Amino acid sequence: MKEPLVSFKGINGGIYINIKKGQFNRIIEELENKLSETIDFFKDANILGIQSETLSKEEIDEIKAIIKSKYRLNVLDKIYDTTKEKEEDFSEIYEGMTKFINTTVRSGQVIEYDGNIVIIGDVNPGALVKAKGNIIVLGRLKGVAHAGVEGNQEAVVAAYDLQPMQLRIGSIISRKPDGNITSSGMPEIARVFNGEVIIEPYLPRK
Amino acid sequence: MGKGKAIVITSGKGGVGKTTTTANIGTGLAMLGYKVVVVDTDIGLRNLDVVMGLENRIVYDIVDVIEGTCRLKQGLIKDKRFEGLFLLPAAQTRDKTAIKPEQMLELVGKLKEEFDYIIIDSPAGIEQGFKNSIAGADEAYIVTTPEVSAVRDADRVIGILEANGLHEPKLIVNRIRYEMVKKGDMMNVEDIVDILAIDLLGIIPDDESIVISTNKGEPVIAEEKPLAAKAFRNICDRIVGKEVELLNLENGEGKLSKILKLLFNK
Repeated sequence: MKEPLVSFKGINGGIYINIKKGQFNRIIEELENKLSETIDFFKDANILGIQSETLSKEEIDEIKAIIKSKYRLNVLDKIYDTTKEKEEDFSEIYEGMTKFINTTVRSGQVIEYDGNIVIIGDVNPGALVKAKGNIIVLGRLKGVAHAGVEGNQEAVVAAYDLQPMQLRIGSIISRKPDGNITSSGMPEIARVFNGEVIIEPYLPRK
Repeated sequence: MGKGKAIVITSGKGGVGKTTTTANIGTGLAMLGYKVVVVDTDIGLRNLDVVMGLENRIVYDIVDVIEGTCRLKQGLIKDKRFEGLFLLPAAQTRDKTAIKPEQMLELVGKLKEEFDYIIIDSPAGIEQGFKNSIAGADEAYIVTTPEVSAVRDADRVIGILEANGLHEPKLIVNRIRYEMVKKGDMMNVEDIVDILAIDLLGIIPDDESIVISTNKGEPVIAEEKPLAAKAFRNICDRIVGKEVELLNLENGEGKLSKILKLLFNK
């Protein structure tokens, strides 16, 4: 017999439905079989959510609709679902999850995120910002920024005032030149080009 | 244990010039041709890298080396100006509890095999960071300034060092202002040595060029002219065993006062 795709997990306050990777119609079939066999047992129970690493939000909504309409089980409005977006490794740099930091990042502080990071404030020397995606600083970037930490060299770092102590993109590390460098006075973007980090204005006509 | 000598630079009180002294002594010994590593143990408040002008080169730090995240060689940063000079930076995103005295002892043991001198910059205070910094040291240099509070802390630290088997620490008096001492407004070196009762290694005059060089990230000792640079060079000579007379701080007076002196024969 095949390993079941659908299982139920009861915790204090209700039941989670765990769904493993498999064809969607097989999942539905198995779920309906199980529910109709044990409907008496589940009566009055709260369904807290659906946990799956492979189903999309739409598919989960469809399953919930079946549970609600056909079996009249109580599905909580507050959602505790896990869907595939959260589990997948972040590799996007054109869209995706983004964390917003609405303060100055100071020396000794580390901001890490499995997506893009936008900092509305400055990043001071001694601070470290690490993102699997891009890093955007709406202020001065003077600390260390590491974009594409999992090796994504398409990632970019942009700032209103880009003067980082070090810039790391993917596995490439570049450092600030020694001595005093003056700010270009315009917003700039850093990206990898021919295996090196290059910095250029992103609004060249301004 | 290797052949190198580990020296901890400490003071008890903050802001008396431990980091500046470490950077200058480290640089000075490298200028004399020795292989030197300066070690920052002020985890969470690292400064030595900034004073040495090497902040932009840090990828790994002392905690990475101790935790085995990287090899010792990867953690050592080569100085931008002097051959044979290396920095092992502190971690900035951790705190003093990230390392233990036993681990520090082991690390310094390894460094002694590679280097002639290991100069350890201690954090202010007498807590865990301080204990880490003295764990592997063979000798201790106490930095103090001519203020009662700094001297009081230095006295306390000398006591703790002796309790930990670091006997006969040496004294560096920093930021002496000759004119003030002459007027009786500042403690003089004899008073300080009298209170602390340890050997004097050197006197560093209060010198604007220190501020300038610190902000530039280039230790002043490499410069020819400043009096503070000469004072640090003398200290380095004494460390390697040469006999050098204490600096005549009267040289530090401005030209104008010298001319006035001649005119009025004072």
